[in-house]
Amino acid sequence: MFERNQKTIFVLDHTRYFSIASEEYISMDFLKGKPTGHSAASGTGSQFSKSLWTCACESSIEYCRVVWDLFPGKKHVRFIVSDTAAHIVNTWSASTQNMSHVMNAMVMVGVPSRSMPHSSDYSVIHGLRAAIEALVEPTDEQIQAMASGIPTDQILNEGRVICITSARDNTSMKSLEDIFNTVLIQQNALSAAAPKKELVINHCHLVILNIVPLGIDSMVTNRNLLAISPLLDVEIHTVGAPDISHKLTHLILDHYDLASTTVTNIPMKEEQNANSSANYDVEILHSRRAHSITCGPDFSLPTSIKQGATYETVTLKWCTPRGCGSADLQPCLGQFLVTPVDVTSRPSSCLINFLLNGRSVLLEMPRKTGSKATSHMLSARGGEIFVHSLCITRSCMDEAPSITDGPGGRVTDYRTSELGQLMKMSRMVPLKSRDPAAPNLARRLPRYFPLTTTSTVLFHLQRHLSWLPHFLHLLLKEDMDKQDEVRCQQHIHELYKSASRGDVLPFTHTNGARLKPHKAKDQYRLLYRELEQLIQLNASTVHHKNLLESLQTLRAAYGDGPTKTDAGTPNLRAFTESPLSPERLEAMSNVSVASSNNSNSLLKASKRRMSNCGTRSLLDIISSAERSQSNKRLDFSGRICTPNGQIAKLYPDFGNKEKDAAAAAATASGVGIVPKEETNRS
Amino acid sequence: MPTIIAVDASISMLRQVPGRNEHTYLSLAIKGIQHLLDNFTAAGKLEHLALMSYSMTADLRVDFTRDYDQIRQAVKKIETVDKSCLLTLLKTSVSIMSTWGAQNVLQLVVFTDCGLGFCSTSISGFLETYAGKEADPEYAWLRTVANYNLNFICLGLHSDLFFTRALVVYQQLLDAAALKGQLFMTPVKNQETNEGGSAASAPSHKSELGRTAVFELIERLCETSYKSTEVTLRCGSYFRMEAPVLLWPPTTPYEQPAVLGGVEAQLRHIDQRIEVCGFLALSDIGSPATLSRHWVLPKVEREKTSRRSAGMAAGMAKPAKLTLDTNNPNYVLESLEQDIREFYAKDPKDTEESGDDADVTIVLKHSTGPQTEQQRESLCVLLHGALKMENMAALVRMGDKWYGFIYAFADAKKKSNLMLNILPPGSNVIPWLGDLELLGFAEDLAPGETASFPVRADRRSYSQSSVVWIRQASLQSDVQKVLRHAKKMPDKTQHFYKELNRIRRAALALGFVELLEALAMLLEKECAHLTLNGASNECTVQLQHAATELRKTSNRDIKSTIVPHQKGGVSDVSSSAAAASTAGYMY
Repeated sequence: MFERNQKTIFVLDHTRYFSIASEEYISMDFLKGKPTGHSAASGTGSQFSKSLWTCACESSIEYCRVVWDLFPGKKHVRFIVSDTAAHIVNTWSASTQNMSHVMNAMVMVGVPSRSMPHSSDYSVIHGLRAAIEALVEPTDEQIQAMASGIPTDQILNEGRVICITSARDNTSMKSLEDIFNTVLIQQNALSAAAPKKELVINHCHLVILNIVPLGIDSMVTNRNLLAISPLLDVEIHTVGAPDISHKLTHLILDHYDLASTTVTNIPMKEEQNANSSANYDVEILHSRRAHSITCGPDFSLPTSIKQGATYETVTLKWCTPRGCGSADLQPCLGQFLVTPVDVTSRPSSCLINFLLNGRSVLLEMPRKTGSKATSHMLSARGGEIFVHSLCITRSCMDEAPSITDGPGGRVTDYRTSELGQLMKMSRMVPLKSRDPAAPNLARRLPRYFPLTTTSTVLFHLQRHLSWLPHFLHLLLKEDMDKQDEVRCQQHIHELYKSASRGDVLPFTHTNGARLKPHKAKDQYRLLYRELEQLIQLNASTVHHKNLLESLQTLRAAYGDGPTKTDAGTPNLRAFTESPLSPERLEAMSNVSVASSNNSNSLLKASKRRMSNCGTRSLLDIISSAERSQSNKRLDFSGRICTPNGQIAKLYPDFGNKEKDAAAAAATASGVGIVPKEETNRS
Repeated sequence: MPTIIAVDASISMLRQVPGRNEHTYLSLAIKGIQHLLDNFTAAGKLEHLALMSYSMTADLRVDFTRDYDQIRQAVKKIETVDKSCLLTLLKTSVSIMSTWGAQNVLQLVVFTDCGLGFCSTSISGFLETYAGKEADPEYAWLRTVANYNLNFICLGLHSDLFFTRALVVYQQLLDAAALKGQLFMTPVKNQETNEGGSAASAPSHKSELGRTAVFELIERLCETSYKSTEVTLRCGSYFRMEAPVLLWPPTTPYEQPAVLGGVEAQLRHIDQRIEVCGFLALSDIGSPATLSRHWVLPKVEREKTSRRSAGMAAGMAKPAKLTLDTNNPNYVLESLEQDIREFYAKDPKDTEESGDDADVTIVLKHSTGPQTEQQRESLCVLLHGALKMENMAALVRMGDKWYGFIYAFADAKKKSNLMLNILPPGSNVIPWLGDLELLGFAEDLAPGETASFPVRADRRSYSQSSVVWIRQASLQSDVQKVLRHAKKMPDKTQHFYKELNRIRRAALALGFVELLEALAMLLEKECAHLTLNGASNECTVQLQHAATELRKTSNRDIKSTIVPHQKGGVSDVSSSAAAASTAGYMY
């Protein structure tokens, strides 16, 4: 959790020596863009050089650019500038762990003054002391761990100090080392006494970069990692000022276990020659695991060493990108953030912009057999660029078993589009905070959802009965009110009417004409049963309960066994349960059909239509009325019988058991638009 | 799980099994393999199998395939050669397995009479030379074998001392090389407890190793090493939206490292019930790293459960018999569905009459006859269809802060099935989706709040206009940009100052004051050059002004900004005093 690279501190020597030139000259002509053979060839007046300070500053800032690009918020880098005292540039807190803070703070530090007196007050030692003090300060994560009650001695506190300085010889370097070690031990003793605020340093890695202007030999010898004490490892590198960046790029690979990939053969249009495109390479850095995770026995990633570099880079070939969609849910073993080695170069920014615009790039490597494999993919998401390590070995998931061959694969009437609609309505979005009481998916999806159209009457008819969807919508309302209930009751009553007449429900695939008489009865029984289940599963208000009751009564009236016997209905049941009763109902309605005329109801229907249509021709009205006729849709009979403006009474005759049968017949005849053909056939 | 089936082809395999004249060890092995293939066939022919035979050499008989008939044929042709050498087999298997990546669980099933081999090629011989040389590169291949699951079908009698001693040596080999292995042998306990000295009792021999005994070993092998993970998939609250499914290949437990001050290192298994939390567009998900991938297959009920048949029986009976039993709501719903199906189903004579009825897509069989598996509706198929149609994936909760995605995956041959990608445990594993625990629905948003994917990260260096002058070429291109704008003043005056300030600010941060002087010189030169060529007065004035401002040490301050020279002679417009007016020039 708390690795050594979680805390890195740059100690920058800000003494007078660092104001001198690095002796790598930049010619003015070069800046103007004139091709010059060599910068040194120009006159002295037209060239200038970075100071040692600028070299140290830009390379250490570049180091933390890479760290913060690849491990945002996870790995921390601090800067301490040392002259007569230590100047703290930033802290461990997240608000100062970013490029703009560091850059702004550096403006205030400025270049060391050449006019400073040469005295012993000016030293890098101040900075090193401050670095040790900074190491005992906990990071936000460590503070969190301390707050969670973990004993401080269990919180690993390691760090790395990179000191960019310039020492005269090995002796002064040795004394630097010794002082650092002594201070480290002293600080640990102090920190152990203040366990609440500070953490004992478990280990420190000190990297000393001894820099000299170009072409100057140093008396300090390079030294590889050496354990000075159990607490301290030290390594020393002497580098010419212009090469610090290279050195740090090399070191950062080990410090953060990074690897380099060079994307080769990137086609790019030339500014001068827009028709042709030349190929470019872009080098990127990322976690080493992006390479190691894909390695298998029959291939190895091709590596090379770039000119001037001291480390290997894996060269992968750019593949002409595919569409956005094909990049989704690739078999990915790991995703890692990347950052270009040279962020400002034109090829880098071309590749970056290409990716940030939402396209993905597959990277190709050769196999030993000569074939090629796309081992990696670059893609940007949310403004960050990732390298995805893809699975390129054979997988037991190859050759999918087709779902149509599996269980349920031959069923063709799944309610796929309905579920698809629900999915679109249940698309997830990122929230800032989540209310635990917010309905989860189980509460959002319907409580009654038959998988196929052949296991439901209700949802099957939904497509063919225009009033049904609205009815179902009302039924499912969690906050059903009285008005909704009344509307639902109307629909239920309407169903009852149409059942009484023996109307055939508009099934598509059972072809109504062929429906056997006993099935004609079944259709309503099933519809009632399904409606009852639906309401029961969704019952949340008293209105639902009322509906359920009337539906159960209806079922009882229709000769379907009610589920519970209400006190008021046993006689009704006794009556309706006799095997003859449904037939008798139909017989009576048949009689009424014969006497009623269709034109009458056609007129009524058209009147009703007119009320809710604004600008329709007469033909439209008549034809739609006729359509509604053929649909056998009925207006609510209560409305037809009741004068305008009054509320129709529901089931006026219910509970009046003696008159029940007669009432049913009477109401049926009151409407009387059962088509002859249908009833005759049945 | 790719599997090598290996058959011992040493001559000892030709021995007759004592007390079983009809069997040799080899014929029993072949019967065992056939039974294993039968089992895999019944499970859907998902396993990739290869066949090897080994003696002093190990030969690949059939390379990895799902065509089990090839293996059935090849098994019959195996002939015994010479003495057994298990290590040759293990070593050869490494190269044969090498086409498979580390994401697959690799299995080896060895049918052997547990011969130890002879002399230097024997297992005992190997153990002697191997001792103390574990790290030797010569034995590096054993590291690879350690990743495989080794299953030994040990054919032998417990009364046979050679066999029982060999078992001990096999186990030693597994332990010494740290191999994951299991020895399957006929149970020994019964004989010891029931009969004591089992060697003396001949009838027990007869029952100990035979066809049935080998089949039992195979069943145990399938149970321990090839069982798909069985979980319940839930999507919503309706009972049909919850179904038992098989995950193939079986999930492997995740080794969760210890959390500081928290949980110890532990093995984590996915929950028994995995639940869909919501849906996301595939294009929003992208290609996140996954722990493992699995097919989600409907679990086939081999026999009808008693409840199902009860439901059907009730469906057949008069509906009046139904009672609303709140304790068992599915019973009512199931019988209702059954009745509806029956309603749609045609009577037998009806079917004959209307054979032409094309749009009837109903189950033709009457409810009394069992539906075939393919005709029984399945949640997986419905989910697959809808996900495929909408190009979406379902976010599935695998356990506490552990998620996965279910989606329709189509291979190169357009064969499609339901796939589960298990993500690494944790709720923050996909940066661009944010915390998975914080995903909700549009209705959960506060009024006026909007949210969409991807979750934006802070700007990285490559999406800001970073200044890095480590290479001289980048310094050059930044300077040239200023000069280009300089030539096009007054049109590009604002661009000129914007770039100039950008360079100046970076130079100050890096302590690169030499550049400020150099830039001032360049601008003066440019000014002189442009004057000669008759450039506009405005241009030269601005260049002169900019050069002067660059040289001023008073401007070496973070807050100062160089602003264009104003006509009317307000020459000293700079530094913080101009901060208010800079807004107009800064972009």
